[in-house]
Formats: sequence, structure tokens, C-alpha cells
Amino acid sequence: MNMLSLVTFAPLVGALIILCIPKEKVRAIQTVAFVFAGIALIASLAMLPGFSRGTHEMQFVERFSWIPSFGVQYYLGVDGLSYPLVLLTTFMCVIGLIGSLGIEHRVKEYFFWFLVLEVGMTGVFCALDLILFYVFWELTLVPMYFLIGVWGGPRKEFAAIKFFLYTLTGSVFMLLAILALYFASPAPHTFDMLELAKLTGGWDRHFQILVFLGLYFGMAIKIPAFPFHTWLPLAHVEAPTAISVILAAVLLKMGVYGLLRISYTLAPLGFQWFLPALIVIAVINIVYGALCAMAQTDMKKMVAYSSVNHMGYCLLGIAGMTTAGFTGAVFQMLTHGIITGALFLLVGVIYDRAHTRDVSAFGGLAVKLPVYAALMSLTCFASLGLPGLAGFIGEFLCFLGAFQTWKLAAAISVLGIIATAAFFLRMMQKVFLGKFNEKWADLPDMTARELISIAPLAVLTVLFGVYPKWPLDLMNKTIEHMLGK
Amino acid sequence: MIEHAYLIPLIPFAASLIMMFGAKEDPHSPAPWIGIGAMAICLGMSLSILNAVAGGTVPLPYEHNWQWFSFAASIGGKSFLYDMPIGVLIDGPAALTLVVVTLVSLMVQIYSIAYMHEDARYKRYFAFVSFFTASMLGLVVSSNILVGFMSWELMGLSSYLLIGFWFEKDGPTEAQKKAFMTTKLGDSGLYLALLFIFAKVGSFQITQIHQFINQGYMTTTVATVIAIGILFGAMGKSAQFPLFIWLPDAMEGPTPGSALIHAATMVAAGIFVVARLYFVFLAAPDAMLAAAWIGCITAFMAAAMALVSYDIKRVLAFSTVSQLGFMMCALGVGGYTAGLFHLTTHAFFKALLFLGAGSVIHSVHTNDMRLMGGLSKKMPVTFLTMGAAILAIAGIPFTSGYYSKDMILANIYHANQPIFWIMLGTALMTAFYMSRLFILTFWGDDRDHEKHHHAHESPFLMTGPLVLLAFLALVSGFMLDRKGLVYSLLAKPTITAPQAPAAAEAHPAEAKPAEAHPAEAKPAEHAAVAVPVEHAAPATEAPAEAHAAAASHEGGEAEHHEGHLPHWLHLALPFLVLGSIGLAFFLYKGPKYAVADGLKANLAPVFRLLDRRWFLDDAFDLLVVLCDKVAALAFWIDANVVDRVFVDGWGLLMRIVAEVSNLLDALFVDRTVDGFGGLSLDLGVGLRALVKDGQVQEYLMYAAIAFSLAATLILTR
Amino acid sequence: MNAPLTLAHYMTLAGILFLIGIFGALTRRNISGILMSIELMFNAANINLAAFDRFLHPEGVTGQALALFVMTVAAAEIVVGLALLLAIYRGTDTVYAEDFNLLKG
Repeated sequence: MNMLSLVTFAPLVGALIILCIPKEKVRAIQTVAFVFAGIALIASLAMLPGFSRGTHEMQFVERFSWIPSFGVQYYLGVDGLSYPLVLLTTFMCVIGLIGSLGIEHRVKEYFFWFLVLEVGMTGVFCALDLILFYVFWELTLVPMYFLIGVWGGPRKEFAAIKFFLYTLTGSVFMLLAILALYFASPAPHTFDMLELAKLTGGWDRHFQILVFLGLYFGMAIKIPAFPFHTWLPLAHVEAPTAISVILAAVLLKMGVYGLLRISYTLAPLGFQWFLPALIVIAVINIVYGALCAMAQTDMKKMVAYSSVNHMGYCLLGIAGMTTAGFTGAVFQMLTHGIITGALFLLVGVIYDRAHTRDVSAFGGLAVKLPVYAALMSLTCFASLGLPGLAGFIGEFLCFLGAFQTWKLAAAISVLGIIATAAFFLRMMQKVFLGKFNEKWADLPDMTARELISIAPLAVLTVLFGVYPKWPLDLMNKTIEHMLGK
Repeated sequence: MIEHAYLIPLIPFAASLIMMFGAKEDPHSPAPWIGIGAMAICLGMSLSILNAVAGGTVPLPYEHNWQWFSFAASIGGKSFLYDMPIGVLIDGPAALTLVVVTLVSLMVQIYSIAYMHEDARYKRYFAFVSFFTASMLGLVVSSNILVGFMSWELMGLSSYLLIGFWFEKDGPTEAQKKAFMTTKLGDSGLYLALLFIFAKVGSFQITQIHQFINQGYMTTTVATVIAIGILFGAMGKSAQFPLFIWLPDAMEGPTPGSALIHAATMVAAGIFVVARLYFVFLAAPDAMLAAAWIGCITAFMAAAMALVSYDIKRVLAFSTVSQLGFMMCALGVGGYTAGLFHLTTHAFFKALLFLGAGSVIHSVHTNDMRLMGGLSKKMPVTFLTMGAAILAIAGIPFTSGYYSKDMILANIYHANQPIFWIMLGTALMTAFYMSRLFILTFWGDDRDHEKHHHAHESPFLMTGPLVLLAFLALVSGFMLDRKGLVYSLLAKPTITAPQAPAAAEAHPAEAKPAEAHPAEAKPAEHAAVAVPVEHAAPATEAPAEAHAAAASHEGGEAEHHEGHLPHWLHLALPFLVLGSIGLAFFLYKGPKYAVADGLKANLAPVFRLLDRRWFLDDAFDLLVVLCDKVAALAFWIDANVVDRVFVDGWGLLMRIVAEVSNLLDALFVDRTVDGFGGLSLDLGVGLRALVKDGQVQEYLMYAAIAFSLAATLILTR
Repeated sequence: MNAPLTLAHYMTLAGILFLIGIFGALTRRNISGILMSIELMFNAANINLAAFDRFLHPEGVTGQALALFVMTVAAAEIVVGLALLLAIYRGTDTVYAEDFNLLKG
């Protein structure tokens, strides 16, 4: 059975079925969306027993010729680097769907685009052919554009167009780099990543640098790495809750994944040439992102900037060029997806009730909303890297990896941890602690639907923090191999 | 019992979870007894472990590890799968600290049953306390410094929760944030130290780090950097200068919680970690000196602040900081045993002092000592037990504080004379301000009749723990000092290669970890290697340190020899202490303490400096404001520079390109198109003239004619 | 009169039919009449198809099959046409082609 195709395209089938359902049948549309996103999740989980932890080879490979005249293939496969991210995607999409049940406006189109988005995201992590990768990469753009632009906040059109154009610009450079790689391969040219990776030894350093820069431009905007990060806060603030969740949890990971999967393996010399710059960018992302978050009063914007900060940890781990750092980066991607996803959901919860996200508008909510306060605190503490919760392990491994290569940079980055703690604590203090603001006297605590969407994330946050063995075992061999060359 | 030591942190942790999620909130809830029961079990286990350790029936250090998770790591180019161990490491200090922590926590919890009985969040308090204790116990037993660090941070979380327990008020929420942030600032040093340790050693296991240093692989420079990092962490948690600012504020939490923080958990953790990783310090003399001076400065500054404060809890908080300074200083001058000994005795009398103060506050509902006075008649048990604690902390002969403080001073005397004289002065100040507290609170006549009238002795659940702790405060020093028990139990660790050989400096970094940690080696083998080496160390080498280590099993007196004050000083010390107590009586005995007020008026600037806590709080507030300013600046840059340049700038560029291409388009491309368009337009207009009234059939006719013409043309060609 | 029918006969018939159709389409006032005339032209084409098939490729039935297709399409077309006619009639109360001159420029 072609598991990966099933995982990737089950949501597409769902999307097409939704197109055929009359738009009034909201319940049916939601059910179809859940069923097909659920199929993708179950199928991706079903691969877990069959996934071998003892090899770095690609697994569950599917390979057909797609456009033979250009050597384009339909080539899917996962290894320890991509499989955890596939799981994250399918899982977060189901969570996002639960979070989307509150959508009342143009339900049919919403769920249609949502499922198409899932196809693109899963595809990016599975594709092993550069053109296929690029197609999936771009496929995420259009749904995201509509999801932000139609169901977003007050400045949704601007945010959507900014997101779209900015990321598209990056992708164009990426495409150029991909084509350069294609023509650099010997006569029957190929887009096959694994084949191309074997050829890197023969390529000129300058060529690799150019290719790396082209690829990096596309990835950096997605990550988002300083200075290409400014689309993120706007897009996050304007996007509807569930889309912010997906944006933070999965979409940003595509950039880091691309950096590891494509830039690192296909242009290793370029990658090494860029390392000093990358570490500087990582430090800026960490410290500067945290500082920007500190200056926010809008909770969602704060979380958005904290994403910039957290993706900085990923970059830090990668820039270390050590196994621990790479492991940390991948683990951090997972945990950031889970934790920040939960944070956005939780911010959405309070926004749905109070119609404001300004931290200073609240106060003492812990008395009135104990469950909400507890979950929010858990997530905030996880995000600021409290040991025992998932955020710590990834962050620590990133630092561990980077410290061996860049002692000073790692030391400076620790400031980012402190600043992160500072703004999360301040947010918690202003919103939950202190004197109760009587204005919110009739604010209800969390509903069952909200709890169902957040509880799995909270459970995973604790589980991965206490017992990170499962996700780490998935990725160990692959990462060892990546740096083993 | 020692093989089940891993249960000691787990039991209170489980109890905490049960209380938090399993019980309903109710002022009469029996839930607290779950925590108390759990803690009693832990105390029993700890006592049995201590008994075994002190009796020498178990080989030390006892270590047992399980595999937790593994990740791919590489040290100096060698790649391997690092199996992170999680496990227990019990040695003398750990066994003793376990007993101290569980005992104090048990006393605090029993006491809290009565103290917190009116609170709306009754069971939550007990859950927090159990969680707090569990984190501390986890730090004490863990064999892996990363797990230790995790417990350390969880302790930070628990202190955050406990200090901000009454979160409806602004004071506690500020204090909890301050505590968390200040300790986090310190933690970052420890964090970096951990990173450095792993980068060098390739392991987090304490015994392996020790072994690594023993084999002389760590250069002095590296050891110094790591030790400074650890010290920085300890400065945060153990409230050393300049990070002690959080501790006086931390009393915003419930008073028994403060007792826990000040005696058994939070502040003890910093000292304990320094002691746990003492071999790193032994390899880094500069870091030792830094620790000594920091301890000295802390002790002095805090004692000075305690001299002028009228808030009973604040005086106690300053005294804690000061005593922690003593411990840190002792560790810094090599007085490992003395430092840990004082940690133990201090835990008893400081817990007692806080619980006693809680009892007073519970009774008179104020923290201000100027409104107390004459409480000895109303609260005899509290009065007597606190008196015992005051004697102990002041260092009256044969109380516990006497033994430990004497040992510290002796160690300092032999190591560093300038520090010694400052510390001696500080010790006398301690006697002074503690007596002052005692006199103001209990002595003489009442100053506030209203409050005095309502004062009453606390219930048995509160006085019971006080009595037990008072007993320990008086005799624990004697018990431990007897037969040199403290020297065998708290034997100073040794390093067989204190200075890294010069050759190691030249060694390429890759060679060292490869030896300590071959890629294919299994963790079990490591543990097996690590432990015997530690034991073998004294046997194979014969320097003076080795002798001290051997003492750990013989109950020898190695440290004893360097640990005596000159005879005259030893004899004079109690009299000096009594003198300063007498001075306190003289200044504060009356209801108006006019002498003291006069002194205050004459020395106003000094008092102001001390009242404002050396302006350190203001400095930190300034730092916070500065950080906010920087943050605002960063955001401004983000919104106005980065966004402008990289988004709007890009957009501008695109727009210019678009304009240019538009121009080209208009000039050349569009002309052609226009030409075609115009042509067809003209043609259309011309043809339309043929049609008169827009009839369908007319069009059809022309179409038919055109078609037949075309057909004719094609066919006849 | 027993000379065999040749292709020319069929083509003549078809041509006549087609011309009648053209004539009707151009001259009828009633739109339904125009539609009928268009049907005539279709049928002329069908006759041609069948005849060419029969005489040029007697081994197959392609032409006949095509004729069937044309008839189907014609039926569909007439349905659409009549529907349009009905709609027009509802809207304007007339079925005469000369009344429609919206295309007049």
C-alpha cells in the first residue's frame, strides 16, 4: 500500500468531496474534512510500527516517472528527518480543524482550502524530487493566501498579499537554484535529491555558494530568519486562530526542513561558507525576536515574535553543524509546533470571548478561568523552556550543539532565554494575576471543544518533556548519517 | 533501602499530583495528609539511608543509572549516540541533605495544616509544597547534572508558584516574577556551564565528570570558566551578592512556604550544587577565591541590612542571605565540610525561626516588630523555641550554630585573613540583629495594646514542629560533631590531578573525550569504570588530598587539623558574641528604644543606604527599565527599519521595475497591439455600415454569402 | 428509370435540401421556422455523410455513425434553441426575428 501517497492525498480527496457538498450542509462539510484529515493522521501513525529506527535510508519510497522528458519524478519517501514532521503536520491539521469549528462564514471554501493546504504541507516533507518539492511548496501558498485574506482580521487583505508576495519572491530564487542544480547534473539531467546529493563532490565551490544563496533566500523567508521575518507578525495577527496555528506549527518548519534537506545536502560547501553568517542570524533571531516580543502588548503578536525567537534556536542548532545541534533543531521544530500551536489556540480562546488581545486589558483571570489559566501557564512555561516540558529538550540540544562550535554566540543567545522568560512571565502576571478586573466578571471558562483541541497538545508537551526518547529515536540514525560524511 | 532512593523524589511528586488533581478544594480537606504521609515515608527512607551511610554499611558513593533517552552527539569530531542516564547518586552530603530536606518539609507541612486552615486554596498550597520538596529531592539524589539542572529549574517554578500564592495582590505577583527572573539570570550561568561540561567531557554524569578531572584532562582555564558558571547559578538560587535581591521580597508568600524556601529547598540548592560539583572548583583556584569573596560580601551586606529592618520576616530573610554567604565563603576557602555542616544546622534553626515568626504573625497579624513586644507572656512556647533558635544562629557555645560557624571561621582563618576579619564582624552582627529581633518581639512590655491583647499561643500543630526543630537546633551540631561524624559524612572530594599537566594543554581537543568517551562504549561500562576510579583514587596516589579522602571511611580527622582557630580566639569568640547580644539589649530593651533611635538620627545616611538595601533593588529596577527600553527600540527598528527595508524596499524595487517595463510596454509593445486593434476597429466600423437594422437574418445572409464566396474561391483554385 | 442511384444524386438532393434550409433561415420571420430550416441544413449534411460513406468507404460505417452523432447534437441544439425561444417569448411577447435588433450598432 502506498502509505505516503495516502497520507499526502487523502486530504485532497476530502477537498474535492467538499466541493460537491452544498454550502449549507455545514455539518457534512466539517465531517468530511475531519474524516479525511483523520485518514491522513491515522495513516501516518500507522507507518510508525513499520518505520525502522535503525537506518538512515529513505523509507516507504514511492517512485514513478512523472514528466519523463525533463526527468521529473513522482518520488516520495521519508527518513528520520522528515517523518516526525509528517506526523506533526497531520496531527496539527486535525487540531487545527477542531480549532476551525467556530468558523461560520463561507465554511465550505474554508475547509476546502484548509485540506488543500494540508496536501501541500505534507507533500513538502515527503517529496524527494526537487520539482515535486517545489510544486508542493508553492501549493501551500495559495490556500494560505485565501485563508488569511478571507477569514482574517481587520487588515487581512494587506497581510495576505504581503505574505503571498514575500514568500513567492523567495520561492522564485529557490526555483532558480533548483534549475541550476538540474543543469549541473550530468546529461540525462535529474531533479532527484538523493542523486544530486551524491554529485556535490564534483561541484565548484562558487557554484555551490550561489546555489545555497538562492535556496537560502527561499527558506529564510519561510523560517523566518532575520531580516526576512517581518511578514510573520502581521500574518499571524491577521490570520484566524486555526490558521495561525498551522502557520506557526507547520509552515515555518518547511523553511528549516528545506535548509537541512536541500541546502545542507545539495550545497554543502555553500552551507559551510554561510555558517558564520548563519550563526549571527541565529543569535539575532533569538535575542532580537525575544526583545521584540517583550515590547508587545498584543498577545498574538507576542507569540508571533516568540516564534521568531524559537526558530532562532533551530538555526542555532543547525549552525553548530553537530549532531546534537541538528537533533535539537528537528526536536525543536516538533516541540515548537506543539507548544506554539497551543499558545495560538489559547490566545484565540480569550480573543473569542473578550474580543481583545491586549495584555493590559485583563487582570486576575486566574480566579475566574482556572482551567484556562492553568493550560496557558503550562504552555507559556513550556515555551520559555522549563525543564520537564517539551520546549527544554529541543532548546538545550540546540545550545549543546551550537556551543561546541560557537561558544560566544551560544553564550549571547542565553540572553534570549532570559528575555523569553521575562515577557511570558509579564504576560501571565498581567492577564492572570493581580487584582481581578471586574469587567470580565461573566467570562466563561473553556468549552469542551476548546479543551479537546488543546488537551492533546498539553499532554504531548508534558510527555515529550519527560520522555523525549520516542521522537529522538526516530531521528537519531538519520542525523548521525547526515553529519557522518 | 538505598537501592530505592529514586523513590524519594517520586513519592512527594506523586503526592503533589494527587493533591493537585485528585482532591477537591475545601478548607477542611484531608488532602494535606497525603503530602504529610508521603513526606513521612521519605523521611523514614532518608533516615535509614543516612544510618546506612553513616554506619559505613554501604559502599559510597552509591550510584545507579537507567537509560533515559539517547541522542546523536559528537565531541571533537567523534560521533556517538549519547545515552542520557537518569539515576541516583548517594554520598554522604546527599544522604544528610535528604534527611534535612524531608524533615524540614515535614515540619513545615504539619505546621501549615494549622497555619493555612483558613485559606481558600488550601490543598493547592500543599500540592505546591510537595512539588517544591520533590524538586529539591530530585536535585539532591540525581546522578546526572542535567537532571539536577532540571530539578533546579522546577524548583524555580515551585518558588514562583509559592511566592505568588496569594496572586490577587500585587506584591506577591511582583515578588514571584522577581524571584523567577533573578534566579533565571543566575541559571543561565549554570546552563552555560553545563554546555561547557558536555563540550569537554561528553557526559553529564557527575562521576564521569569527576573522573575526567581526576585524569587531568581539564585545563585550569576551562575549569575556571565552568566553575564560574556554576557559581553564577548558585548566586541566583542561593541568593548571593548581587542576585540576593529576590529573597527579601520572597516573603510575600505564605510564611511556612518561606521557611521551606529559606531552610530546606531553594537556597540550599545553590550551596548543594557547588558542593556536588566541588571537584570542578578544586581544579579552579580562581573560582574558589571568587566564591569566597562573593560569600564574604554577601554575608556582610545582608547582615548590615538586617541591622536596621523592622519587618520580622525581612530580618530573617536578610539573615538567611547572610548565613548563605557564610556557607559560600566556607566552600570558597576549601571548607567543604564546614559549609555543608552549616547548611544542615542552618536549615534547622532557620526553619524554626520562620515558623516561629509565622506563629507570631499569625497571632498579632503584623510583620512590624515595632508593634510587637512583650509577647513572651502570651506565647511562651514560641518564645522559648525561638529563643533556642536565636542562641543557635548567634553561635552560643554548644548550640548547633556554634559548631558549624566555628568550623567555618576556622577554615577561613587559615585560608584568607582579610575575609576572616570581615566574617568575624559579620558573625557578631548576626548575634546583634538576631537578639534585636528577639528583644523587640518578645521582651519587655507591649507597645501596641490592641495587638497584644489579641495575641495568643498557636495551636499544637504549630508549636509541635517548633519544639522538635528547637531540639534539633540545639543539639544537631553536637550530635554531628561527636566522634568526627561530620568529617566522615561530609568528606571533601578530591582530585588526584588538581592541575592539568601542561601536556594536556597541548593535546588536541579530540584526543581527550575520545578516551573518556569512546563512541562504541556502553553506558553500563562507563558507570562501572567511573565508580572504581573514584575509590581507587586515594589508594593509588598519596598526596595530602588523598589522605583526606581516605578519611571519609575511617572517620579520620584530616580536615580537623587545619580546622582550628588559634586558642585565644576560640575562647574569646563566645564572649564577643555575648557582648554583641548585650549591646542589643542595651539598645532595644525599653519600650521606646530611644538610644537606638538616637543612633539612627546620627547615622541617617548609613541607615538610608541600608534601608534601601544598598540601592541594589533600584539598580535592578533600572536594569529592567533599560531592558524594556531596548525592547521597545528593537520593536521600533523592526517595524520601521527592517520592515521598511526588506519588505517595503523590496516592494519599491519591484514597483520601479514595473514602471520601467510599463514604459517599455507603452512605447513599443503596446504600439503594435494598438496598431492591430485600430486596424480591426476600423474594419469593424466599415463593415458595420453594411448592416442596417441589426437583424439576425441579415447577419446570417452576409455570413452565408461570405461562406459561399470563400468556398467558391477555395474550390475553384 | 432503372439507372442506379449515384453519388451525384445524393449530393444533388443534399444540395437542394441545404439551399431550402438557407432560404428558410434567411426569410422566415418566425424563429421556430428558422430553427426548422437549420434542421433541414443539418439533414442535408447527414445525407452527405451517409452517401460519402456508402460510396467511398463501403467497408465501414463511420459516416453513418457520424450522422447519428450529428442528429444527437442537433437534438440538443434544438432543445437549447427552443428553450431560448421560450425565454425570449416570455420576455418580449414576440417570436419574430425582425423584432430583435439589439445587435444594431
